[in-house]
This record gives sequence, structure tokens and C-alpha cells, in this order.
Amino acid sequence: MGKLCDFFHYQLMSSKSINYQFKKKLNSTLGGEAHSYCYQCGACVGDCPAAMYSVDFNPREILLQALLGDEEALTKKDSPIWNCTNCYTCYERCPQAVRPVEVIIALKNICYQKMTASPEVNQIVESVKASGRTVRITSLSDRRRKELGLGEIKSVPTDELKELFEP
Amino acid sequence: MKYAPFFGCMITVKYPQMEAAVRKTARNLGMELVDLEGFSCCPDPIFFKATDKLTWLTIAARNICIAEEAGLDMVTMCSGCTATLSEANFHLSTEPELKEKVNQRLKRIGREYKGTISVRHIVTVLRDDLGIDRVRESVKRPLGGIKVGIHYGCHLLKPSEIMRVDDPDYPTILEKLFSAIGAEIVHHEKQALCCGKACMSENIPEKMTYDVLTSLKKSGANLMGLICPTCFDEFDLGQIKLSRKYNQDLTIPILYYFQLLGLAQGLSPQEVGLHLHKTKTDQIVEKLAGSN
Repeated sequence: MGKLCDFFHYQLMSSKSINYQFKKKLNSTLGGEAHSYCYQCGACVGDCPAAMYSVDFNPREILLQALLGDEEALTKKDSPIWNCTNCYTCYERCPQAVRPVEVIIALKNICYQKMTASPEVNQIVESVKASGRTVRITSLSDRRRKELGLGEIKSVPTDELKELFEP
Repeated sequence: MKYAPFFGCMITVKYPQMEAAVRKTARNLGMELVDLEGFSCCPDPIFFKATDKLTWLTIAARNICIAEEAGLDMVTMCSGCTATLSEANFHLSTEPELKEKVNQRLKRIGREYKGTISVRHIVTVLRDDLGIDRVRESVKRPLGGIKVGIHYGCHLLKPSEIMRVDDPDYPTILEKLFSAIGAEIVHHEKQALCCGKACMSENIPEKMTYDVLTSLKKSGANLMGLICPTCFDEFDLGQIKLSRKYNQDLTIPILYYFQLLGLAQGLSPQEVGLHLHKTKTDQIVEKLAGSN
């Protein structure tokens, strides 16, 4: 009963109205536009590993919050969206082609703009900007490659990459 | 058959033993890897994609452009790189507006995404282009008696409409490849579970890794066979941490498919870099020596 009535409960209990502005923002973020097709069937939950292993993560609830435009819950620091394992099972299961994982990634993109994204995310971007790679080359990596008969690691033309970061 | 190999960051820098195994075994399969200049990070389908999808697509498209300019299909060795490059190739070749946006940025560096090549995880090249028979024929020292518990990982298979590799719920590709080199496949309960590496919670990935490892141990597998360096990262190092934490022996060797293929083709454990693993692989080496 609880799950079925969540949508109405959420509105009644939280005294929040739908934030259409945030929904518009989500619609204009790549991958976020399909969130409105969600009819809360919960097919995304059954095989979601993060939901299986934690009560704090439920893709259907995240989609419900997206339908209501609950910007605070979804894009605050340490938002539950960061617990998604990116396994793409919900993408397979959703009968409405909402692709919940892509909606979650769109929400992460919004967090990045608002500077509420997890610090690891920023580190990865900085690393790619600086060296073109996510993993730092060390003397150990060079030594191991040599030992295995592999060539030196090729440098990445980071000047080209820098041009691509600008909108 | 010629392909442009894309090794990505994890394999190139952190796990070069996987690159060595691919290069040495590909040669024995008659696969020609033509190295191209200028590839960057794919970029990473988890953290980088989480920042700005358009930038993620654009940098992925730049990598694809390099292979397009050479007129070669890309072959990837990491499920993460496969995910990024396949998704980018799919979206850009089916969504003209998106392609236009990406090409506007690529124009700044004198490149253009055209959509003329395909991106494939190397295991699909083995199954579909070279054929399982050729893999089997390349074996000099079959792995008779070695029990392999497979870990599929997520991004080789899903999203299936983009990856088009296998049935995402009942895949067979890795069973076919491991069987072809003489391994005995043992199924385990958590075979299809995600490794958890991309989840940013502390507890969730740990519990998942614990369950995968205990399920593997229960199955009687001698090793875990996989095809993704990120999953490898989670399990090879993860099992040592977890064994300590739970005061329980969760250790089991983790091998990348091409390392095992290399051993079956007659390469030495050193040549495929087994000594670089955190988990000891001595038992596997002994078992192999004993069976031949």
C-alpha cells in the first residue's frame, strides 16, 4: 500500500508543490528529458543492486522526486543519486524507456554545475584536462611495461582536449 | 584482420599485464593491431560522464575520429572504454542534432565525427570475426581441470540496445570463450552481480564484493575469469581488504581472459604478468603445470 500511495503521500506530507522550473532544467539536460514518462511501476527496483544492498537507494523514488522536481533532495551534497552503481539494469527493465540511470546521470550533471558533485568527480576531470588520462603515470607503471616488453606510454595531445571542454 | 586497439587508462597505466596478454595472444590468433597516435581517456563512463554529457560525448567522438581517419574499427579491452565509445558512436550516428553539436566543438581542432567505424569489445571480435574455432585452434596447452567462475561485469552487455553483444540476462559469450581454451565453467550464484566499483557509497560495493567472492568460493571455482580492468581492480585488491576485515579467507585468483588464453597458448605466467596481481596465482600455475 505504502509504495502505491507514495506519490500522493509525498505531496500531502511534504507540503511541497511541483517545481516545474527544475523539471525544465532536467528536461534540457541530456538524458534527463525522459523522466516525465515514468509511471512509477517500480520495474527498475527489483534488480537494482544498489537498492538490494541499501535502503537509502531506490531508483523509483529518485524518479518520483524528479517528477516532482525536488531539486533539494536530488542535487544536495551527498544526494543518494551517487549510490547508483551504473550497472544499467534499470535501463533494460524500464517499460517506458525512461532509462533511469541516464536520468540519474543527468542529475549528476546538474550537481556538477551547482558544485555539489562528489569531489572524486572533479578530480577525474582535472586529471583528464591535465594529462588526458584518469590514471597517473608513475615510475612503477613505466617499469612494469618495460618488464612486460611493452612500449612507452604515448602522450596525449592535451591542447586538443582543452579546446573541447568549452561549451 | 586489422583493428585499431584502444587500451584506455586503467590497462595502459595500472594493469599493463592485460595489454601484454592481449598483444601476445592477438598475434597468435592472426589479429593485426594497428596502433594509432593521439588517443586520450575514453573518457570514463562513470565520473567523467557525471560532469557533462556533451563534453564526455565530444571527447569520445574525438577518439573515434582518430580511428575513422585511419579507416579502422576500434577494438576495446576494457568494458568502461567499450561503454563510452559504443554509447557515443550509437548516439552520434542516430541523433543528427547531437552529432551537429559535437561536430561544432570538434571543428575547433579540425576534426569531424562521421560515423563510419564500429567500436567492439575484443571478446566480440574473437567470437564473431575470428570465430571460437580459431581461438580453440590457437591453444597448445589446454587448461584441463581448471574451474573458472565467470564475472561478466555490466558494461559489456548493457544497455543491450546499444552494446548488441549478447542477451544481457542470459549471456553465453564468455562461457564459449573460456570453454574454448579448456576451462571448466562453474556457475555461481552472484555471477551476474555488478562489481560495485562505480557506486560512491562506502558500504554498498563492499557488501557486493563480499557476496560475489563468497559465492565464487562456494562454487568450487579455482579462479575468477573476467574481461574488465575495473572489475579486476575491485576484486583483486578488494579481496585482500575484505579477508582482513571479516577474518575469513576470501582470496581467489582473478584473471583477465587474455592472460588465461595466453597461458593456454603456451605463454609463461611471467609473460602474461601473473606476478603483478595482488592475489597469489601460484596454485593456478601449479595446476597448469600438473595437467600438462
